[in-house]
Amino acid sequence: MTQDIPLTWFLYFASASFAIGLMGVLVRRNPIAVLMAIEIMLNAANINLVAFWRYGTPPPGEGPITGVMLAIFVITIAAAEVAVGIGLILLCYRRWHASDVDRYDTMSG
Amino acid sequence: MIVPIFVLISVIGLLAALGTVLSRNLVHAALYLVAFFFTIACQFVLLEAEFLAAIQVLVYIGAVAIILMFGIMLTRNILGDDTTSVPAGWKLPAGLASLTLFGVLAYGISNHTGAHGSAATVGTAWSSVSQRPGIGPDADPKTPRAVAIANMGKTVGDEMMTRYVVGFEVAGLLLTAAIVGAVVLAYRDGADDDPARRVLKAVGLFPPTPPPPGRAPTPAAGPAATAGEPRV
Repeated sequence: MTQDIPLTWFLYFASASFAIGLMGVLVRRNPIAVLMAIEIMLNAANINLVAFWRYGTPPPGEGPITGVMLAIFVITIAAAEVAVGIGLILLCYRRWHASDVDRYDTMSG
Repeated sequence: MIVPIFVLISVIGLLAALGTVLSRNLVHAALYLVAFFFTIACQFVLLEAEFLAAIQVLVYIGAVAIILMFGIMLTRNILGDDTTSVPAGWKLPAGLASLTLFGVLAYGISNHTGAHGSAATVGTAWSSVSQRPGIGPDADPKTPRAVAIANMGKTVGDEMMTRYVVGFEVAGLLLTAAIVGAVVLAYRDGADDDPARRVLKAVGLFPPTPPPPGRAPTPAAGPAATAGEPRV
């Protein structure tokens, strides 16, 4: 049989993507760019879910596709989050006339 | 053969993610993000979850990326200050934080030893798992996972309607709430020529005054037979 991809390679890829997404969240000032970085982090988590599903042994009575179902739910939540996030960003843009998270400081003490 | 493909896809994906995070132009960042989503779909194919790859392309590339594009177009910076550039003083701490996070995660992945006192499959260290459970013709075709992978769409539908039905309903409720919330948030409370307000007036939902308590229902809330007729 040909050589297969080790499980840890998928995990390394996912953690590297997650770290890049974290850097994007920290470094960006545009809220839409922050939202994009959050999407990167969510996708990295999805890779982990599916990789563990494919390589692991499912516990008895849990169904054959646990990881895939969990990933589908994560995608659903991410889509809802983007819709609400864009609404919030448009509201903030209309209010402060800027797309800059440093300006949204009304609630800072 | 599959290992070089994985390495190539991973390198492209990480470069696309870096481009999303670091590119100055936001539209370029969104395009890099599309490339990243596509490499994630390729990873799903490598993990034999083709249905999930199709969902990834449809939902992320088809919907999320387009919504983000619209957001970028609707929020052009009118004050003239440059928010897409990365401040030089912030690059180093952010890079340090992400590198530290990756180091911690990689250390944990490579040194994982498995749970103690469990079954043999649960206690396996992650670094020793170099072969996925086979589903090919040389494997036992009767394993539930092999059947599920061969009929992924059907299995997803069955599971969605049986085992995960509560999660399915809650997800539907959440999507409804998200749609309503997005409309309410983006609703402009201002000029009367607003398209949203015109639509609300046309369907009789504006102005949104609640009916006073203790009175008979107004003709607008009458029988359903007259609800569809245009009122003069």
